Amino acid sequence: MTTPNPRVPNPFLGASSLSRRQLIKRAGVLGAAGLSLPAFLAACGGSSDDDASSGTSATGSSPGTAAASGSSPGGGGGDSLYFENWPAYIDPTEDGLTGTVDRFVAATGIDMKYTEAYNDNNEYFAKIQPVLGNGDTIDPDIIAPTSWLTGRLIQLGWLDKLPLDLIPNAANLRPDLVKPTWDPTGEYSLPWQTGFGGIAYNLDVTGRELTSADDLFDPEFKGKIGMLLEMRDTMGIIMLSLGIDISTLTDFATAEPAFAKLEQAKNDGQIRRFTGNDYMNDLSTGNFAACVGWSGDVVQLARDNPAVKFIIPEQGGTAWADAMVLPKGAVNRDAAAKWMDFVYDPVQAAQITAWVQYISPVAGVQEEVAKLDPDLAENPLLFPDEETIARTHIFANLSEEVEAEYDAAFSAITGA
Amino acid sequence: MTATIETEPGTPRARSSGTGRTSWWQRHPQRIGLGSLILSGVLLIAVGTGLLDGPLAIAALFVVLVAIVALIMVAVMGGLETRRALAPYGLLNPGMLWLALFYLAPLFTLLRNSLSTLPSRFAIDAKFDWNFGNYADAFTDFQDQFIRAFLYAGIATVLTIAIGYPLAYVIAFRGGKYRNFLIGLVIIPFFTSYLIRTIAWQSMLADQGAVTSFLRTIHVTGFLDTIGIMDGDKLLNTPAAVIGGLTYNFLPFMILPIYVSLEKIDVHLVEAAKDLYSTSVSAFRKIVFPLSLPGVFAGTLLTFIPASGDFVNQLYLGNPNTTMIGNSIQDQFLVQNNVPLASAMSFVLMAIITVFVLIYSRFFGTDDLV
Amino acid sequence: MSEPSSRRGTVARWGLNGFAAVALFYLFMPILWIVIYSFNKPVGKFNFIWQEFTLDNWGDPFKDEALTDALWESLKIAGISTLIATVLGTMIAIALARYKFAGVGLLAFMLVLPLTTPEIVIGSSLATLFLGQDVDRGFRTVIIAHVMFQVSFVALTVRARARGFDFGLEQAAQDLGASPMRTFWKITFPLLLPGILAAALLAFALSIDDFIITLFNAGSVSTFPLYINASFKVSFSPQVNVLATTILIFSVALLGAGMLWGVYRDKRTKAI
Repeated sequence: MTTPNPRVPNPFLGASSLSRRQLIKRAGVLGAAGLSLPAFLAACGGSSDDDASSGTSATGSSPGTAAASGSSPGGGGGDSLYFENWPAYIDPTEDGLTGTVDRFVAATGIDMKYTEAYNDNNEYFAKIQPVLGNGDTIDPDIIAPTSWLTGRLIQLGWLDKLPLDLIPNAANLRPDLVKPTWDPTGEYSLPWQTGFGGIAYNLDVTGRELTSADDLFDPEFKGKIGMLLEMRDTMGIIMLSLGIDISTLTDFATAEPAFAKLEQAKNDGQIRRFTGNDYMNDLSTGNFAACVGWSGDVVQLARDNPAVKFIIPEQGGTAWADAMVLPKGAVNRDAAAKWMDFVYDPVQAAQITAWVQYISPVAGVQEEVAKLDPDLAENPLLFPDEETIARTHIFANLSEEVEAEYDAAFSAITGA
Repeated sequence: MTATIETEPGTPRARSSGTGRTSWWQRHPQRIGLGSLILSGVLLIAVGTGLLDGPLAIAALFVVLVAIVALIMVAVMGGLETRRALAPYGLLNPGMLWLALFYLAPLFTLLRNSLSTLPSRFAIDAKFDWNFGNYADAFTDFQDQFIRAFLYAGIATVLTIAIGYPLAYVIAFRGGKYRNFLIGLVIIPFFTSYLIRTIAWQSMLADQGAVTSFLRTIHVTGFLDTIGIMDGDKLLNTPAAVIGGLTYNFLPFMILPIYVSLEKIDVHLVEAAKDLYSTSVSAFRKIVFPLSLPGVFAGTLLTFIPASGDFVNQLYLGNPNTTMIGNSIQDQFLVQNNVPLASAMSFVLMAIITVFVLIYSRFFGTDDLV
Repeated sequence: MSEPSSRRGTVARWGLNGFAAVALFYLFMPILWIVIYSFNKPVGKFNFIWQEFTLDNWGDPFKDEALTDALWESLKIAGISTLIATVLGTMIAIALARYKFAGVGLLAFMLVLPLTTPEIVIGSSLATLFLGQDVDRGFRTVIIAHVMFQVSFVALTVRARARGFDFGLEQAAQDLGASPMRTFWKITFPLLLPGILAAALLAFALSIDDFIITLFNAGSVSTFPLYINASFKVSFSPQVNVLATTILIFSVALLGAGMLWGVYRDKRTKAI
């Protein structure tokens, strides 16, 4: 049913918080260094803290006309800002550490509303479609759809161009993310966080190390394989294993062998379940021997259960991003630009990455994170080397008709 | 057994108007009642579907108000017989009009959508053009899901009767003064969220979960595998798990109506029967069971129908080969953004269910649908 | 009740009771799981594997503000919509059971129709209606939506009860001089009450549980199922179990109190 939120860092401070505690101590120092008076913090921390922690209940997720909503006061000038993001995707203010939203508010004085009501790309699209399709505006100034949805929104003309001249730090964008397939002109989006899709497996169940996508089709694991409902990650990995280049796809025929292979596997009972974000549970309990998964999730899981491993298959894995965009008619463009400039400063980006533990789109973050947490800075899942990056590919941006064919074929297999 | 109050339309029996003459509206109160109801309903539907809007909508709403007021006036001014004749319409009005506006109107919009074509995948307005192709697609592309949905729902319904009837019977006849407490206990688990209950089953049926471990300990997994309930040593992500989930989640919908009809059976009837018949079983078969049939009937409707359209159980407990039509409709709406096809599929589902229900009620011998 | 006349009868009797007890246990199995796991201390985000016993979660049951708010919203919505739907549905049931009138078949059919419609169809088509009429989706629209599908359930359940009802009793009362209102409140209503209560309980459970229809029509309001579903993609915290258990304890307590009060009342009338 849903193509769910692919990113889930660990908001639970469980037994795995050892490095977190060290991090917090050091970050606390750094954090305070960049800030103004504690009193100012306390005052602003109150409101945005509520938003950051109140999750879905504070959502203005009923898109209405900007004028009708009372949530973001102020005109186009930008004394306020409304960013609707995925859950658990930003460092909060806790344990002596000041969250990015609070730091931003303190640094710029902009009244920021941050909500976490963006749970699923398709659900959110269904909500904004009647509004944006009608030419009206939605409440949030910034949203962060996954790359494929960003591509679709750009094609539909439902996004405003970013005022890049107001975002000098955009130059810090990682070179491999400049002018990506989903945003060929690079004018509409700036990635918030990025990650890889690969294979996650439970060593206790498989009994051996896995290295390639073909392992997913190994009859030995029949009925214990999971695959993602996110079409591009699942099909991407399969296509790469068949030697198909996913970054240059233009039609459905090229991808057909991969769809046929997946369908065969499903009919044979090889695949236990197509999952959303909840594959991690099946993986650690042993319901899955292996599954297609996302890098950031496994970083967390592996800490608690050393038997869980993540690999980018030999033939290649997928790379994705959640990109910050301005929905058409967004009111607070200047404030949005300031925000993007703020989070593209390597110092700020480092703090976000250290908590969220996905791959930062900002170059130069690794050195900053090393100051906070040297172990984390060495983690290849967070800071992949050149060779790994070369093995990941971004799925091509499909035209509306071709995308419909892919979606239909995939749904036929997932059984929907 | 019911003593219905017969109303006799057409007989000039209005008396209390004082004058000797009877107006036509006093002679045909039923027509006024039904007419008012239908008129209000149709106008509300028209407003709801957007057929009438702006000043026309306001005019329509005004007419609805007038119709309701007229009904009240006729009831007040007419005599006792008129009131009796109009009473059912008065009782029905609020509920039915609510349904008319908030159910029928959207349904008509949906019907219109099902016969439309989208100019492009993400367009928000479908063009109405009598496109029956959507229905053709609905029939041909989703046969497996339709069949599975009805199969699973059917098995689940039978299971709920098998489990629920004895429980309802015991509570109704042997509950004594704890009856209300016990029937309350039956429904209380369902004050937690549907989702949480299904997730709980997901955890209990997992490969290392409570239920599966228990089955392994008593060595029945091989047997269950042979008869198809388990798949190897897996209980989760099998058709059995989906059916189990459906059975569980709809159990109170079966228990409650059966209980309600059992509870009002006069115990003396049963005792008298026992004096005449020698066994409890006969008494049950000839007295209790037939009297409980309305409850079983209602319960079957309340279970089978929603279960056929369910998708949550399949989502958490099933595998890609057990999907039901509910998942497909969900997918068409949310992922494929194909509203016309999704609407057509919904109508096909509704149509098939209605046919089942009609056949079922004929078989049951009940004289009307509900 | 009739006494079993033979030993075989006793065995059969206790067999049936045993089966009923097992059925009741079956109903409560997931509840047991929910309660037990509310004492779990999970590693990671999902509360699925038993780790260790802890009372921490219960220390501050309402720690998760958003979750508690969502629960409260759900309770409010369920309460209001159940009230409205029970009144409307009972009226319809009485009308259908008591009277013979033109259009019965058609109206009864219309009543069953919402039950045959998949929830997603009801939900999205209602949302389209609200969007088209420029009605802001929020608290009120959720209630409207809930009442809409509750009415059919209530009407069906109460009707099952009302069908066996001897309306001659009403006639007798009125022959004795009671007004229609009095007849209704003193005769009809008390006898229909078990059916009405059962229907109300069912409707309440339906509303609290509803996900899909609410999803499309809630706007920015967050209900318990909505919140859980959204956050389940990210985590499944023991707090959810704690809150669910709290609801259960509360409901059982209410039920128990009701039963005790009934017993007490019976004792008093007997004493008199």
